[in-house]
Amino acid sequence: MTAIQTRNLRKEYKGLVAVEGLDLEIGEGELFSLLGVNGAGKTTTVRMLSTLLRPTAGEAWICGHSILSEREQVKGLVDISLQETAIARKLTVEENIAFYAALNGQSREECEKTKRRLYEAFGLDAVAKQRASRLSGGWQRKLSVALALATDPRVLFLDEPTLGLDVIARRELWQTIRSLKGKMTIILTTHYMEEAEALSDRIGIMKAGRLLFVGTKEELFSRTGKKRVEDAFLEIVCGGGDNE
Amino acid sequence: MNKKKGSFSRTVTLAKRNVLEILRDPLSFIFLLGMPLLLEILFYYLFHKMTPQFEMKYLAPGIVVFAQSFLSLFSGILISIDRNTAFLTRLYVSRAKAHEFVLGYTLALLPVTFLQSALFFLVGGILDPSIWSARMIPAVLVSLLPAVFFIGCGLLIGSLCGERSVGGVASAVIAGQSVLSGMWFPLDGLDGGIVTLMKALPFKNAVDLVRSVSLGTWDGAHPAPLFIVLAYAAAVYALGVFVFGRRMRAQ
Repeated sequence: MTAIQTRNLRKEYKGLVAVEGLDLEIGEGELFSLLGVNGAGKTTTVRMLSTLLRPTAGEAWICGHSILSEREQVKGLVDISLQETAIARKLTVEENIAFYAALNGQSREECEKTKRRLYEAFGLDAVAKQRASRLSGGWQRKLSVALALATDPRVLFLDEPTLGLDVIARRELWQTIRSLKGKMTIILTTHYMEEAEALSDRIGIMKAGRLLFVGTKEELFSRTGKKRVEDAFLEIVCGGGDNE
Repeated sequence: MNKKKGSFSRTVTLAKRNVLEILRDPLSFIFLLGMPLLLEILFYYLFHKMTPQFEMKYLAPGIVVFAQSFLSLFSGILISIDRNTAFLTRLYVSRAKAHEFVLGYTLALLPVTFLQSALFFLVGGILDPSIWSARMIPAVLVSLLPAVFFIGCGLLIGSLCGERSVGGVASAVIAGQSVLSGMWFPLDGLDGGIVTLMKALPFKNAVDLVRSVSLGTWDGAHPAPLFIVLAYAAAVYALGVFVFGRRMRAQ
């Protein structure tokens, strides 16, 4: 089943085109990475698909629901971990999870289950009673990502989830993301090529708002003749690849 | 998991979070309770025998409204921080609507202002037992009207200003309450122009309204303070809701 489908999706900000003619199809349970340099349109794309931004033109469907005409249904299916750390700073870790789960419709019992699930997945029980503002940057980031999973979404958008994490924390988060594979559809935007290489089922490469390549790692290597995602990415972005 | 929950539950959830955010900021206690309380005690002891302005029956209602003016600062800061960090953006993915966010901020602050009013009347009654009266209860309740005005100011300021500029703009509201309410000085001998201005703005009218109810001098035949405070509260709050909603959609 198709989890995400976009047709000629476009976003323009006061004359500046951020995303242009995006046609994309992502299957249910797939982990899809969007790669691109700054300003490529990755964040704008995930913000449109998660209902945070209205497209200027085009259409997209999440599990068959239009992001334009069925926003409420789409909101019930998706969640997002933003590029910025998005937590309630004066609430404890436990309170943050309970707040976010309750806001999204969970009963007290469901909130408790969600807490236990996220403690286990992210090791957050060690800091459960601490205020978010007193956590290290790494723990804050983990909490921010964990909150996106509190709603157990069918489609999860992870916008630069490992930004600012040290190498150990990054690897730990990779492990958590791997454990989610197949359970939900994940769209990951990242600057880290090795992250995309390690985690993705398929990769999309964007440049200046346009999608230049979509395919598996193997297809990327075969297309570019390279053996590393970073080299292949540079070949596509700097070599002016065409839509596949 | 389905994100099914009623509007009321979401509003209460948002309000609970906002209460925690406010109560866990030590500055909230200092400015919303501590400092006005100190002023109430000091001004009463230092000046109540020198000028009637500082007799407790006049001072306590004035302090109640003065302390409420700090609501504009704290609600403004909270909204501005939420808006300028990704926190509010994340919540926009939930089914919560603009009016639920706004009500969440408001409902969090109404108990705070109720506590303020009750505390300042209570301490006033302890310092000067002659002011004890059952009228304190309607006075506490009617003081919620100017509180809505100040919360509306906070909504507006928090929606329009960045985190750094909220303090400066909200200070103008606090200064307005302090200077243009006539609570710290008698109006006798003041130029007619400034008195006309004070009568047209909500600050003096808010103090007059709470005072008249607590003193039992409220006269239904002269309802101007009530209507002026109501009009400002409704207008500023509606504008705050409108601007917040626009900002939310723009974000």
